[in-house]
Amino acid sequence: MQLQDHLPLQLHLHEPGLHSRPVMPARGAGRECAESCMDYLTLELVHHYRDAQQGPSLQAALDAVGERVGRQLAERYARDRPPLTEPLEAMKWLCKEFWGEVFRKPVDNLRTNHRGTFVLRDTQFRWLWRLAQNQMPPQLGLSLPPAVPKTELAADYLVLPCAIVRGALAQLGLDCSVAADAASLPQVDFTVVLAGGGTGGAGAAARGAR
Amino acid sequence: MGCFTFYIFNRKGRCQYYHEWQRLKPVRQGAGSQEEDFKLMFGLFWSMRALATALDPKNPNKQQMGAPQRIGEGCNFYSFKTSSYKLHFLESPTGLKFVLTTDPSVGSMQEQLQHIYAAMFVELVVKNPLYTPGEAFLFEPFSAALNKYMRTLGLLS
Repeated sequence: MQLQDHLPLQLHLHEPGLHSRPVMPARGAGRECAESCMDYLTLELVHHYRDAQQGPSLQAALDAVGERVGRQLAERYARDRPPLTEPLEAMKWLCKEFWGEVFRKPVDNLRTNHRGTFVLRDTQFRWLWRLAQNQMPPQLGLSLPPAVPKTELAADYLVLPCAIVRGALAQLGLDCSVAADAASLPQVDFTVVLAGGGTGGAGAAARGAR
Repeated sequence: MGCFTFYIFNRKGRCQYYHEWQRLKPVRQGAGSQEEDFKLMFGLFWSMRALATALDPKNPNKQQMGAPQRIGEGCNFYSFKTSSYKLHFLESPTGLKFVLTTDPSVGSMQEQLQHIYAAMFVELVVKNPLYTPGEAFLFEPFSAALNKYMRTLGLLS
């Protein structure tokens, strides 16, 4: 995963962890970076925009960042391929190659209604699998805080992935809206609705993309 | 064989995580209250580190008793054993202190504490988006992983 260098944020590395250090690249080899850096960067993105007193709101900012990143990543990863004309082909590419590069594993299940709506199911979404509510009462002795549903906890952290997917599909020529459902973490369902209904995939039943 | 309690303190002395498996002598008879217990624990490490560094027969650097020590400087204190329990201690490079009390017959737990720090604390707590660094926490996945690890080590039945 290559870090996009246009994200203008400070990275606060609280606990670097003893086993994941950025690797110094060999001359000529593809540049690599520890996955921890990506993990911390995405967390800090959300915290930064959530706590900022002025400037764009979290939704607006991360939408903009994600779309731009998604477009550039799609351009990069689809570079050597023949053009993806059918929406279904584009979705399958997204689920396998793109997801594998960005989220480190392919999508586990792809369903479609052949009318432009696709549901991508990732059973172990790597960006969010560690999300857990802090059940510590503010002070010892007080009662436990009420359980917050996971969708609420994860909402802010899903803005960026949705925007990346939207940007990638836009770069491929498919305008769409993306929503994410995190009711049963670590499984996340991304619902992609293509503008204009989508026309591809005649005749075939929904396939799982493995 | 058994493990008794587990604490995580942050740099400033605040107890971030506390878990007890077996505490036959209640806190009330020991330190008086949970807060006092935490303060005593932290004070213990502070003093042990200062004493260990001051009494060090090998290190040629002069350490003053009262001055605050940087992490990694001076002597590192690993564990102490008493007739009824053994206390293991690990200080991370960022100043986090991991404390584990076990049965006296247990050997060195340095590697195990290292594993708890690197593979469990960093992965499950630090990378959790809802963790605020420096604050007390109670995350279900971390507690579950800790219990599971203690079971695999044979310290928890």
